[in-house]
Amino acid sequence: MAAALLVSAGARAHHSFAMFDHDHQVKISGTVTHFQWTNPHVYIDLDSTNGQGELRHYTIECANPGILDRVGWKFNMIKVGDKITTIIAPLRTGEAGGLLKQVTLADGRKFDNGGPAGKANIQ
Amino acid sequence: MTTLIRTLAATLAVVIAPLHVGLAQAQAGAPGHSALTGAWDRYGTVKLDPRVTSAPPVSAPPLKPTYKAEWEAQQKAAKEADARGQPLYGGYAQCLPDGMPAMMMAMFPMEVLQTPGQITIIQEAYNQVRRIYLNQKQLPIDDAEPGFWGHSVGRWEGDTLVVNTVGIKEEVRFRGVPHSANMQIDERMRMLSKNIFEDQVTVTDPEYLTEPWKFTWKYVRKPGYKILEYVCEANREYQDPQTGGIRMRIGTPGAASPTPPPPVTAPKP
Repeated sequence: MAAALLVSAGARAHHSFAMFDHDHQVKISGTVTHFQWTNPHVYIDLDSTNGQGELRHYTIECANPGILDRVGWKFNMIKVGDKITTIIAPLRTGEAGGLLKQVTLADGRKFDNGGPAGKANIQ
Repeated sequence: MTTLIRTLAATLAVVIAPLHVGLAQAQAGAPGHSALTGAWDRYGTVKLDPRVTSAPPVSAPPLKPTYKAEWEAQQKAAKEADARGQPLYGGYAQCLPDGMPAMMMAMFPMEVLQTPGQITIIQEAYNQVRRIYLNQKQLPIDDAEPGFWGHSVGRWEGDTLVVNTVGIKEEVRFRGVPHSANMQIDERMRMLSKNIFEDQVTVTDPEYLTEPWKFTWKYVRKPGYKILEYVCEANREYQDPQTGGIRMRIGTPGAASPTPPPPVTAPKP
């Protein structure tokens, strides 16, 4: 039932998510440099070091505070300096950004991004 | 997730338990009015009450042929932009609210307040508020300053709240459908059970439509829900000057951008 409700929320998409590549999701881990809890979108900024030791800065778009509240997020659950892991649908432009599908906090708790954004298809 | 399940359980208990008295009470109370007060969610994406059908999807607008061709071309362009990965920049990304009648689709939860002589409807998304003045004469179109929510007057016909709205800005378009300054929106709101109500909407605009455009939305009570504030601020989406599509600003706000955003030339399919 809970799953059905979440899926149903897909009908409420704020706008098109077509700038993100939902079929080629990637996992990005790093350190939070900024957490923006605002409408119409919440944003996570993340510094991530890849396998070659190169630092890359990512901006990750999330749903809005209302949708996230309703799937269990809290406005202060992510803080600057936190080490987190995200699964994102990357920007089709190749820029270092994407739409959040799932976040794993430092304490291991996992949250999705609400119905409209859709689920992670990797783990 | 636990919170969600608890909320769901509470919603189901409230929705299903009183069904046997729901309709009778709603009718017995007519024009009881107070039944509409409270928080509501759109009904129908998940069917909670087997006795109340979901609202059917909104039908295509019965536009006159010239306008229909333009509207269909716009719909096609939006689909193609999505397929290119460059969705069109529009109202929400510009922090603009829906206006009427779109706000009544209840994208997010909504609240109805009934006070003497007035019914106020608040939509959480974009802090939208519309005021329906009861038992007053509607303004002549020429005196109705155009706005997002227009000028609404209403009256009770038995258990049905009948509302007329005029004065919607021509730029405020539900589903991109064009309209004239003379568009009228008529609504009939009534309880279908103790915890479900419907809004039958009729859009009349002989300059643009071959016949009135009719659709229905339904709502389910959201017990105990407190509407959140919604200020559209610091959106990092912007319009790409080259493609006209939506782009997203990368980088911690205030920090020097490591690289300027590249132009979009060949997006990945």
